[in-house]
Amino acid sequence: MTRQNTTPPDVHAESPAAPDPPFGSNAIRLNSRQWTTVALLTVVILLALPRLWMMLEPLADGPDYRLPYSQSEDYWQYARLVARAKSEREIAVIGDSVIWGEYVTPRQTLTHYLNEQEASARFVNLGLNGAHPLALHGLVSSHATALQDEPVLVHCNLLWMSSPERDLRIEKELPLNHARLVSQFVPSLRCYKAPLAERMGIVVDRNLAVRGWAQHLRIAFFDGLDIPSWTLEHPYENPLAQIELAAAPSDAKLRHAQIPWFDQGIGVQDTAWIDLETSLQWQALRRTIDLLQARGNRVFVVVGPLNEHMLTPASRQRHLVLREGVESWLRGRNIPHASPPLLPSDEYADSSHPLGAGYERLAQALRDKHEFGQWLEND
Amino acid sequence: MLFHTWPFLVFFIAVYTIYLALKKTRYWLHWLLVASYFFYGWWNPLYLLLIVYSTLLDYVAVARMDGSRHRKLWLLVSIVNNLFLLGFFKYAGFVTENINALLARTGVDWHLSSPSVLLPVGISFYTFQSMSYTIDFYRGDIPRERNFVRFAAFVSLFPQLVAGPIERARELLPQLNVFPRIRREDFTDGLSLFVVGLFKKVALADYLAAYVEPIYATPDRFGAPALLLATFAFAWQIYFDFSGYTDMARGVARMMGFRLMVNFNNPYLATSLGDFWSRWHISLSTWFRDYVYLPLGGSRRGAWLTYRNLFLTMVISGLWHGAAWTFVIWGALHAVATMATRQAERSYWYHHRVPAFVKQTLVFGFVCFAWIFFRSSNLGDAVLIITRIFSAGWSDPRFPLLALLLVSSVWAYQFVIESPARRYVESNIFRIVIVVLMIVYLCIIPGSRNEPFLYFQF
Repeated sequence: MTRQNTTPPDVHAESPAAPDPPFGSNAIRLNSRQWTTVALLTVVILLALPRLWMMLEPLADGPDYRLPYSQSEDYWQYARLVARAKSEREIAVIGDSVIWGEYVTPRQTLTHYLNEQEASARFVNLGLNGAHPLALHGLVSSHATALQDEPVLVHCNLLWMSSPERDLRIEKELPLNHARLVSQFVPSLRCYKAPLAERMGIVVDRNLAVRGWAQHLRIAFFDGLDIPSWTLEHPYENPLAQIELAAAPSDAKLRHAQIPWFDQGIGVQDTAWIDLETSLQWQALRRTIDLLQARGNRVFVVVGPLNEHMLTPASRQRHLVLREGVESWLRGRNIPHASPPLLPSDEYADSSHPLGAGYERLAQALRDKHEFGQWLEND
Repeated sequence: MLFHTWPFLVFFIAVYTIYLALKKTRYWLHWLLVASYFFYGWWNPLYLLLIVYSTLLDYVAVARMDGSRHRKLWLLVSIVNNLFLLGFFKYAGFVTENINALLARTGVDWHLSSPSVLLPVGISFYTFQSMSYTIDFYRGDIPRERNFVRFAAFVSLFPQLVAGPIERARELLPQLNVFPRIRREDFTDGLSLFVVGLFKKVALADYLAAYVEPIYATPDRFGAPALLLATFAFAWQIYFDFSGYTDMARGVARMMGFRLMVNFNNPYLATSLGDFWSRWHISLSTWFRDYVYLPLGGSRRGAWLTYRNLFLTMVISGLWHGAAWTFVIWGALHAVATMATRQAERSYWYHHRVPAFVKQTLVFGFVCFAWIFFRSSNLGDAVLIITRIFSAGWSDPRFPLLALLLVSSVWAYQFVIESPARRYVESNIFRIVIVVLMIVYLCIIPGSRNEPFLYFQF
């Protein structure tokens, strides 16, 4: 046996280039110049595709337009609505399904009645179904940047602070609404347990328009599936034939029957409510308001009105304390706001969603608020 | 940590940056080892104990072998240890299950309890790589590696640690002697390999997997066309999955200045089974050739012993892939078919008169048939699938035309690349357009399933 390699190698020396093994016959080999061409072409295509698509696929028009329910996770389309609101100098009304109008048609929403009272089309419904404050923050920070310097009406639905589950503070994994909008790393949510690779993918998707556009294609034309999965469901259909370059109509259909909460079999509840200062949802809403203000938005906050008829006296008392805490913070920050009075019991569909008549009354209550009028006049 | 996920990208950028920064120091090798152990420990930090133990033992075995009169003893220690690790973690359940079945059949009212151990990812690969070092040293083919860090980096080099290629010490260890020269072409070649591998995995393998999985999970619910097409799809799925992994592994290594061996070379264009095995998982088939087939006698002792050696090697190779009878049968089928095509190639008529295309079709057809055993959850399912292929009636297979188009394109490309027409697909414009299309496709079309690689389970 010969003994070789006994002297330590000179670590500063560079090894002679080893002979090249075969490259692998079906690998495609590019040199640096070709890679530069590929990089340039790819960047141009990926940047251009979403922009070109905006020219090809029109946005539905109309004062009462709202993002169809089936497209609730189409944040790319949402950003287009935001950009249009900006270009038409509309007042964006943002919030969850209370703003979107879960139990009503587009012509029965808060924005509809605000516009009706104004005899204009100033208010635009940018409510997103299921957008709890933690998701709303992600929505505003990543998909509503175009709103800069515009007036924004924010709805604060205290229902999200009614229990540890709704506040998303529990340890047990919960199915989240709009998981792609919540903070993926800091602040972390204990009930959100997506693997690291998925979280990183979400962060990348948020920051690349082409990924948002790809998601739009899936939601708008392929039943929410990626194209390979869609072809498994429709093996002999041409995916390209699915794409119709027409504006997606607003959701005109009712999602639920318009009946008051007490006729739906919902009883009075002793909701626990949580401590405002430790509430993750409240902290997220505060961050959203701060972010909007930092972007030059003039913010008006509407707090509630929650369906107190559905609460036991003790729970109602706890809710009022919580609401007072919210109002106190808003007052302390000189943020114009309103807490409209409680609506009649039969104008609520559940714990937080008004029915059509409730929205009309709510719009009227806002109009009657001096602060709201002042805020509008400043626009 | 999977190559086609974001954590790997972040890991690689961090590791690569520091790796380059340490170029002029002696610590680049230490860093490589730390990065490789971190990469491996990402699955389960406990696995690290195993790889460190295995590395240490082989390092010591060779050190004791060096200049010793008990060289054979230390070789045995190394081999027994590696095979024991592999046997315990991979085959203990299989062995216990079969002993229990045997006991039950003979009426013995006693059974062994099944060990509940998790198969450490990549154990089949790194034990073979490490074992090749001790055997090669014993044979006098390579010198002893005195630097433990270098040896440990050889065993655990992260690009090829969990699914190969299984590198030989004589090829890889010298590359770890000094910081490799990284030329611009190394980086661009590495990138080329990585992108092609990524496309194979994400766009093709995972797509086909979504068709194959439900059919192989419940074969009794599907008709002959679906079972046939699922088998065809699996043949391509496993090729895209494994060769995609290898391409990415070679690409990452190449960017770091290391050259890993080619592991796949258009295997579905093979004209005989022997040809197939010189194109499929080349690093494993050459490993078995050098450390099992040749030591058994190879083809030196007449036809009968050659076929015996071939049969044993293929069956062991089958068993290497998994602890189940389906893998044993898969290996045995390949052994028989290899012998048959070897014999057929000796006839003038078959060798000269049968067109290559016909041979390729026959080989591909047989390989697909054998994949049924490889993919089936158990022997019963494999038999059921074969029976239903021949007996179940027609039903709509619902195989996506898009998948068919993609697979056909790759197949056609491979035919062209091995034909005189290859110059058309080697033009600059063609290659640039293909890569742009692949990247754009990856950015827009596939979902984000992050499916693990098939060969991790072996």
